Amino acid sequence: MSDRQFVIPIGPQHPALKEPESFYFTVDGEVVVDVEPRIGYNHRGIEKAMEARNYIQNLYITERVCGICSNAHQTAYAGSVEEVAGIEIPERAKYILVFMHELERIHSHLLWLGVAAHEIGFDTLFYYIWRDREIVMDLLEEVSGNRCNYAMPTIGSVRRDLAKDNFPRWHKMLDTLAERTNYYIKVASTEQTILDRAVGVGYLGKEDMIKLSGSGPNARCSGVPCDTRKTAPYLLYDEIPFEHIYVNNGDVLGQVLVRVLETLEAVKICKWVLDNIPEGEITVKFNPMQKVPEGEAVYIVEAQRGELIHYTISDGKNMPYRHKIRAPTLGNIPSLVERLKGGYIADIPIVLAGIDPCFSCTDRMVFHDEGKDKTWSWDEGQLHKYRLEWYKK
Amino acid sequence: MSVVTTLIEALVFPGLLFVLTYSLYAQWVSRKLAARLQNRVGPLHTGWNGILQPLADFIKLLVKEDITPSAANKPVFNTTPLFIFALPLAATFLMPIQSITNLWGWDPVASFEGDLIMVLFLMSITVLAIFLAGWSSGNLFGAVGATRVAFMMLAYEIPLGLVAIGPAILARSLSISKIVDWEVASIGAFLATPNIWGILTAVVLFIGFAIYTVCLLAELEMRPFDMSEAETEIVHGWQVEYSGKKLALLNAGHDVKMVLAAALLTSLFLGGPAGPVLPPVVWFVLKTTFCVFILSNMSVLFARFRIDQLVTGAWRYLVPLAVLQVMAVVALSGVI
Repeated sequence: MSDRQFVIPIGPQHPALKEPESFYFTVDGEVVVDVEPRIGYNHRGIEKAMEARNYIQNLYITERVCGICSNAHQTAYAGSVEEVAGIEIPERAKYILVFMHELERIHSHLLWLGVAAHEIGFDTLFYYIWRDREIVMDLLEEVSGNRCNYAMPTIGSVRRDLAKDNFPRWHKMLDTLAERTNYYIKVASTEQTILDRAVGVGYLGKEDMIKLSGSGPNARCSGVPCDTRKTAPYLLYDEIPFEHIYVNNGDVLGQVLVRVLETLEAVKICKWVLDNIPEGEITVKFNPMQKVPEGEAVYIVEAQRGELIHYTISDGKNMPYRHKIRAPTLGNIPSLVERLKGGYIADIPIVLAGIDPCFSCTDRMVFHDEGKDKTWSWDEGQLHKYRLEWYKK
Repeated sequence: MSVVTTLIEALVFPGLLFVLTYSLYAQWVSRKLAARLQNRVGPLHTGWNGILQPLADFIKLLVKEDITPSAANKPVFNTTPLFIFALPLAATFLMPIQSITNLWGWDPVASFEGDLIMVLFLMSITVLAIFLAGWSSGNLFGAVGATRVAFMMLAYEIPLGLVAIGPAILARSLSISKIVDWEVASIGAFLATPNIWGILTAVVLFIGFAIYTVCLLAELEMRPFDMSEAETEIVHGWQVEYSGKKLALLNAGHDVKMVLAAALLTSLFLGGPAGPVLPPVVWFVLKTTFCVFILSNMSVLFARFRIDQLVTGAWRYLVPLAVLQVMAVVALSGVI
């Protein structure tokens, strides 16, 4: 580090970060030379907690992994357990799951768009977008009873049905959303001050993105077609007609475009679900004390931020032997570091926000001995031993 | 008697007390307008439509804990808020608002040939005080904010000075009150005998008004030029370590600066506090509120620029435009 360079710490507490995470930026004047991320401020031991609870209780833990993609986590968890238990969910429940999944995508993408506007100092756009986001929040509340943690999916089914009387009104609400989203596409792609702050900022090309294995809108804005809904369809996504959104911009504008276009697609999918939902049962009984046969399963969904992987191992009891969650932000951090290098300090917030980071889903724990400068993590055998010893006391 | 008059003028009206009260009002106008334009309600509960909210905020900050970081350069850190508050306040004494001995007069508290230069000088010194405030706080964000303030000054200071000279050339005086007198006289003459040169002068002065508004937005560190305090980037930049009484002073200083900016715009381009029927102070309030409206309207319309975009933009567009405007003014002053 030359004497012209100095280190700016951003985080764990910083207005640009909505969750605690630390980044050390080596800057030369206003230009970022190097970035060192440090994750792990928000480790909550969720995976470990899940091993001590039965499958139904775990539904509510997985939901609280993240406040914004709560439904995606729950869908993926329930999906993985259903696969181990060999439960086939009713057709109507699948439609309702897709409906919730897409409503959540709309809400998350609009939320991100508002935050992005705030990060580049365009608070007016932020307030407008969040006002319009209330439409989808109302819709979610009507469908599930909650604005944030919806508690809709359960193992084998969904917990609430959709009332047919509401469909015309919901269609209208979705139309308004589509109209407002179209307006924001126009604003984002024509307003000069936004373009000044978004075009070419945080650029990462397709080859680099594939090498750094990003996922979600972060990868799709660099031209990598990696939407799990298309590449490995789950639920009904092989039947639903929708576009695979990806653009070649590679910069912040690309991230904006991918998300607004996906919002439009999500509205389309929601309307398709309302038009095509079949009549029928939604419930399959699953007893909290019910034992799940031995086995393991992976369930991958496309959460708003990218590929979300849930992996369950059952040893034949009524609680999982091990449940592993891989949230999309973890996969996006290497590409985020590349995006930040060579940019300006002023662009740090928007590039950071560009991957829509959700650090509390991401955090992992390792042990670090400062004296010996040694870092290690426990494998599951050691964790199991630790757990047995802990409960013996 | 004249000592008493001068004291009342300096301390009560139109001096200290009036300017401070008016600056709180200006803050309310700016906040309320920005809120309404952004589809929010803004201040609501303290007083009529929240009109006392700025005062409540000020009092609240006064009773908050006042922290001086141990890494700070203490003498500089503790004194700069005083300068940031006092310098724009001193400059408002040179603004024509209302004479207390004559209901229809607008003699400023202090006035001399060249007080326009004095105001510009005081404004530049304020920027220097801001730079020192950020630099002495011993905080990295403070230092980045301070350097950004200095960079911004490179961008807007030249056009700001150039455009202010325009009305001075036309009025053939560097005194703000004489510029106002010239404006009043020439508007009167224009209304008596309308001619093409009067319209041309108005057009040229309007261009000056536009450039001046943009420069004042940067001077006031309002969006889209608030990169020196950019909350999401550098956590309020040079103000980051200030709290309690010092922050209250900084905020009050910002409001006084806003009043000063609005008063300068009014005096140089809008005919100062002069107007028909009503006494000057009413016209002053109306015209400066209009200027505050323009400033806060501009500040909600755009996203924040980057510092390099501001500097290149200013030198590519603002400076040449300001030079052209001055040239046009010189040509016009030969004709009229």
